[in-house]
Formats: sequence, C-alpha cells, structure tokens
Amino acid sequence: MERMRSLAARLRRPAPSWLRYFRWNTDHKVIGVQYIVTTFFFFLVGGSLAMLVRSELLQPGVDLLNGTEYNRVMTNHGSVMLFLWIIPVLAGFGNYIVPLMIGARDMAFPRLNALGYWLIPPAGLLMLASFFVGAAEAGWTAYVPLSIRAPDGQTLWAVSVILLGTSSIMSAVNFLTTIVTMRAEGLTIWRLPLFVWGIVATSVLSLTATPVLTAGLILVALDRVAGTQFFLVAGGGDPVLWQNLFWFYSHPAVYIMVLPAMGIISEVFPVFSRKPIFGYRMIALSSMAIAVLGLTVWAHHMFTSGMDPRLRVPYMVSSMVIAVPTGVKIFSWLATIWNGKLRFNTPMLFAMGFISQFLIGGLTGIFLAAIPIDLHVHDTYFVVAHLHFVLFGGSVSAVYAGLYYWYPKITGRMYDERLGHTHFWMNFVGTNLAYLPMFLVGLLGMPRRVADYDPSFTTLNQLASIGGFLLGASVLPFLWNAIISWLRGPVADANPWRALTLEWQTSSPPPENNFERLPVVTHGPYDYGEAAPRSPEPVPSPAAGE
Amino acid sequence: MKERSLLLVIFAALVLTVGGYLAATQLHLMPVQGSTRAVEVDRLFQLLLGITAFIFLLVEGALLYAALRFRRKPGDEADAAPVHGNNALEILWTIIPAAVVVFVGVYSVQVLQDIERPQDNTMVVEVVGRQFSWEFRYPADDVTTGELHLPVGRPVLFQISSEDVIHSFWVPAFRAKRDATPGQVSELRITPSEVGRFPVRCAELCGPGHAGMITEVVVEEPDVFAAWLAETKAGPTDPAAIFTQFGCAACHTLAAAGSNGLVGPALDGIGTRAAEREPGVSAQDYIVQSITDPGAYVVPGFADGLMPRDFKSRLSDDQLRILVEFLLAQ
Repeated sequence: MERMRSLAARLRRPAPSWLRYFRWNTDHKVIGVQYIVTTFFFFLVGGSLAMLVRSELLQPGVDLLNGTEYNRVMTNHGSVMLFLWIIPVLAGFGNYIVPLMIGARDMAFPRLNALGYWLIPPAGLLMLASFFVGAAEAGWTAYVPLSIRAPDGQTLWAVSVILLGTSSIMSAVNFLTTIVTMRAEGLTIWRLPLFVWGIVATSVLSLTATPVLTAGLILVALDRVAGTQFFLVAGGGDPVLWQNLFWFYSHPAVYIMVLPAMGIISEVFPVFSRKPIFGYRMIALSSMAIAVLGLTVWAHHMFTSGMDPRLRVPYMVSSMVIAVPTGVKIFSWLATIWNGKLRFNTPMLFAMGFISQFLIGGLTGIFLAAIPIDLHVHDTYFVVAHLHFVLFGGSVSAVYAGLYYWYPKITGRMYDERLGHTHFWMNFVGTNLAYLPMFLVGLLGMPRRVADYDPSFTTLNQLASIGGFLLGASVLPFLWNAIISWLRGPVADANPWRALTLEWQTSSPPPENNFERLPVVTHGPYDYGEAAPRSPEPVPSPAAGE
Repeated sequence: MKERSLLLVIFAALVLTVGGYLAATQLHLMPVQGSTRAVEVDRLFQLLLGITAFIFLLVEGALLYAALRFRRKPGDEADAAPVHGNNALEILWTIIPAAVVVFVGVYSVQVLQDIERPQDNTMVVEVVGRQFSWEFRYPADDVTTGELHLPVGRPVLFQISSEDVIHSFWVPAFRAKRDATPGQVSELRITPSEVGRFPVRCAELCGPGHAGMITEVVVEEPDVFAAWLAETKAGPTDPAAIFTQFGCAACHTLAAAGSNGLVGPALDGIGTRAAEREPGVSAQDYIVQSITDPGAYVVPGFADGLMPRDFKSRLSDDQLRILVEFLLAQ
C-alpha cells in the first residue's frame, strides 16, 4: 500500500524540468538551448586544441607536437570551431529566438527541428573519435590529394561533416518555411526584426551552397574507401575540382557564420542606444545583397592555384564589391548609436567590440581580394589573422552579445554585469593581442599551418600565444557567470531591457506555447523614442496546440 | 552648435587624411624587395594601407567618440530622439565606398598585367615539389638540382608542378607564389633585382614535414651564376651536398649534414644500426634498399608512403654510391 502510494506520487510528479534538455523534445526553445549548450561544449574542445597550437608555436622548433600531431590538432581545431560551434550555435539562436520574434508558437516542422539537432552530437563524437584511428590531418579545407592519402580518421571526418551539412540544410528549410508562413498578424516583411532577416539570408545560402559541399565530401569519401579517382590525376580526376566544390560552399559559409551574427548586433544597438535602427531597409537589403554576392566569389581562394588566369579578375571584382553592403551595415550601426543614450551593459560592449574587430577583418579582406597582393599573402598567417578577426572578433563577439542579451529571456535570471565586463575586456585585449601580430608575421613570410617557424618570427608568435592564452582564460568568468546566475541569479522580469521586439512581450522564460495570446503587430521592431511607445497588443487567440 | 560640429568634421577629416598619408608612406610591413615585381606589389599595398587606415581611423574614432560622448546620463530613462535614417547620407556611404572599390580594382588589374607581362630573354626554370623538398631544373642547360640560383636582372619563368600532393612555391622577397599541383604545370614570372639569399617556402599544407619544406634562392651576378651552373652540371659529389640537394635533410636528422628533420628516422649511427634491421641483409644492402625502395622495410613508429619512390632514377649510380658510403660511415 505504502509502495503503491509512493509509486503513484512519483508518476504524478513531472520529471525534473532540466531532464528534457537530454531527451528528444520538439519544443523549439528546448532545442535552442540544446544547440547552444552542446555547441558551447564543442567551442571549449576547439579552444583547447587552439591552446595546444599556441603552446607549440610559443617557440620555434618542434617541441610539444610533431608534424603529424600538429596537423591533426590544427585540422580539428578549425573543423570543430566552424562546423560544430559557430554555424550550429547561430542556428541555436535562430531556433530559440525566431519563432518568438515572429510571434509563432513553434517552428514549422518541430520534429525535423529535433532531428537536425540530434545529428550534431553523433557527428561531433565521430570527429573527435577520429583521434583514436589517426585523425584528419589535411586542414579543414581537406585539399586533395593530401586528404585522400590521410589515415582512416579522415573518412570519419568526412562522414561527420556530411551529417553536419545535412543538419544545416534541415534547419534552413525549417527557418524559411517558418518565417514565410507563420508570422504574427501585422508582421509584414518590412517589420521583421533584422535578426530574422539575417536568418533568412543565411538559410538561402545554406540551401544553395551546402548540398555542393556534401556532394563533394561524398566523392572524397568514395575516393578514399572505394578507390574511385574523382580527384586523382592518375585516374583522370582533377585536384582543382575539389577546390571549386569546397569553396563554392565554404566562402558562402563565411556569410552563413556572419549574417546571423550581424543580425544580433542589429538587435542590440537600438535597445541599448534607446534609438531606432538607422536605415532599416538598407541593412535588411544589404544582408540579401551579401548573400547573393557571396555565391559569386568563391574562386578568390584559388588565385594561386591552377585556375584559368582570365577568371581571376571577375572574382576579384565580386569580392571587392562585397565591401559595399558590409560598409552600409557598419555606417548604419554607427549612425544608430550616434546621439543615442548608450547603456554599457555587457551585450552593448560585445556589440561595439564586434564593430571594431570585424572592421579589421573586413578591411584586410580587401588586401586579400587584390590579386597582386594575394599572390604574396595567400596561405600565410595574414589569412589566419584575417579570418580570426572576422570569425572570432566578429561572429564570436556577436554570439557573446546574443548570449548575454537573451540570457534573462532564456533562463528567467539575470547574469552578473561585473563578471560580464571582466569577460569582455579579457576577450577584447586577448583578441587583438592574439591576432594583430599574425598579420605582421604573415607579411614577413610565415606560412600558415606550420608546426615550426623561422627564429626571426619568435617575438610576434609569443605575443600571439599570450593573447591566445588570455582568450582561453576569458572563458572562465563567462562559464562561472552563466552557471551561477542560472542557479542563483536575480529573477529577471519579462522585458528587462525594455525592448520592443516580440520575444520580450512574453514571460521569461516563455511558456510552452510562447504566448498566452498571439500578438498583433502594429509598428516596426525598433520604434524607440516615438511619441507613444506602443507595445504589441495581445489579442485573444485560439488555445495552444490548435 | 552648427559651427562647432562643422569644425569637428573638418578637424576629423584632417586627422584621418594625415593618418592615412602616414600609413601609406611611413609604415613598412613587407620583407626586403628582391624582385621588380615586389616594387609594384608594394606600391599597391602601400596605397591600400593608406585608404584602409583612413577608414579604420574614421570608424574606430566614431565608435570611441560615441562611447564617450553619448553615454546615458544617470537617471535618464527617456529614449533618444527617433531618427530612422537619412537618404542622402545612406546614398553617400554606398556610392563613395563603391567608387573606392572601383579605383582599387582598376589599379590592381593594371599591376597584375604589369607583373605578369612576358619579357624578352626569359630564362625557364622548372620547379618540382615533392614531400618535402623542392627540385629545380634548368632545361636549357640540362641541369637538375636541389638548389635554386638565379642571375640578377634576368626575367625568369617558373614552370611549377608536383609529383605527389599540392605544394605552393613561395618566395616572400619576390612577392610571388604559385601552387604546385599534380597533373598540371603552373607559370610564375619574376625578375630578381637584388643580389642575395632569400628563403623559399612551401605555403600549402602538404603533410607532416610541411614546415620544413624550406630552401633558399641565391640571386647572384650573371658570371657567378654561369660558373655555378657549369659546376652543378657535373652533379654534386660532396656527400653532404647530395644529402641536402635531394631533399633527405627535410625529413631526416643527421649531424654530419646539419639537418634536423623529424618526419623520417634519424640517421646518426645508421652505419651500425643498418646491419641489425633485417636478418641476412648487410648494412650496405639495407641502406641501398631504404633509398631505392623505401617501402620494403619501414622502421617501426614511422609512416609508410611518405618517402619518394623515385630516388633510383633521380640519383646517378655515382651519387648513390657516394651517399651510401657516407651513411655507412655515420
């Protein structure tokens, strides 16, 4: 009798709420958190590999890692950071935020959404498990024929990236369908928040470009395991073909990693400046322009390869033209904060850090697009510095801005500002210290992807290593803040930033179906300072699950 | 108020222009100029440095100014004045960058055409990349060697290819780089302008020994070059020179040759170890076999398939004999 009663009690009691994050769940908010936490774990893995790289490069000579080990660590650092952190973490934000921002109850295809997430843990395990069978060692670019000669881990790597590409295509389909068909009443396309515009542009790119990479990887895997010769000269194949397939995806992939990040920045600036975004339509259109142009520039990675020399100039021109919509965004953000009433909460600091660092990445991109200069700096540390300013100084800064900005919405708790500021300054100093010296050392003659270098480059490499270690340490205040505040932080109300976008017009965290009543939108997302600050009016709507 | 902001704009424009000018003329970030091409590439580089320094100072300056000047006053909970945009400004910051981009693009194409224009009296040098060494052939003189020598002032056309994976032939002092891709021959033109020794590096990840795939280009007066070519035609006879020129040094540590590669087994003491490697194989036969058929016996702990398989055809009989005697004595 006693046992029966306790069993009944146990059955009545719902499972602890945190357990749902470890299970198959179709709620976009649970999936969003699953994405963000899982990918952050992989960020820590990729970061640890970067610490090994910077330790090896602390002094010339091969000391900590030999050539093979170094290539494996470097290859997996890049692959983990790009395929298992920055691309999926932005998809995680999209999952959590987009349905809320457009006033929907969930994504269009909730089960596809869950499937997209659950492809990531096995793909990550495959990639890391490859260390036990001889990990991938041909760089994240996996140039043939080197990647075809590499040990078995390279096959696991290819399968892992195929799975991640599939996941990426699934979420792109889901985002586009959701945004096109499930917007709240009154949410016209010119009232869409700019983060949603960023996700639209990214999804278009994922749908166009990712299948090409996935197909190319299948051919590489066949060359490896079935002895086909798609890319091998001896069998009539062409090694340069792989470069075309790879970059047809992987240059647009940079915009896949940057456009949602720019969307986050466009959300943060108006809120913390108490001003409307400046030039809303131009920012939205520039995202689409970057997406379209981004598909036409891939061969600028191949100026030194065996491509037809006549093709180089068109690719140079399209690459340089991308500077124009990018400039439009940067100038519009500056105009947004101009004459504002700025509050330096942590998201605002990271957003300003984003501009200052992404600018360096963007400007050095013009050097790389100019063919005569590229023929000197291609495949050097100049490129390493450039891509880290874009993807770490840029995208990762924006991810941090987003993590702090939406932290109270997702957890219902407020993070600690002082720890947030400490994190920002460590990150800002670390980024510039780690990556600025790499520009110089690249110009002076240090190639990328080397375990050893000329002793004359020692000082610059040591500065970069110190900056790198500082970046490693900067994660600690963030982690401590994120964990402790979730457990014990002050309870956050529905709209602590007094923001106007829809995700803030429901409780923190939002209820299972997002809104008690679906909102009706009557104005733009950034109408700060208007005579009567209007909030979206909730209207009666059919019950949840209808 | 209006006057003050006008003064501010004029002052800022002045600072930015001076900053851009100083960056273009005073910042020297490139290595020595070893070719005529380097001079032209650097001119374009300095111009871009000036333009980007102007934009950099403009944006970072505006950001810093805004952070200091537009900070919210304590207790001020009101929103700022709503400004949604300004068509004139938005058109301006679309058109001006577009014009700058067109200018930079046109100038880049001009430089590109200049540096790649075929010249009279061009000398052809074939470059072959292998894991993890470079080989140079002077087809007009029928010379093959591991050292790159060039006469100063004479245009060179490099014809670059690879026998295994993709490498990239890069001479930083020449500002020139071209991939060595298996199955195709890529061309690169330069004219050396300075006498001296400059590093040659592999820029494309090519395997575990990538970082050590380094050699030098020796640019010398034409008569010195001619003498070197005649001497080299006879082929190297000094054992340490053979060891270095055929790329052994890139992967194997050997004190007598001053090398410290780690990709393959160390060769100090190989003269005694060689006899113990395979039962019934003499030290001499083992060393010959290791050079001409490296897959026959692979030292435990090292990967098979990395050492080139073509030394039998590349080394003359004399060179092979000298090399084996040299290794037996280690």
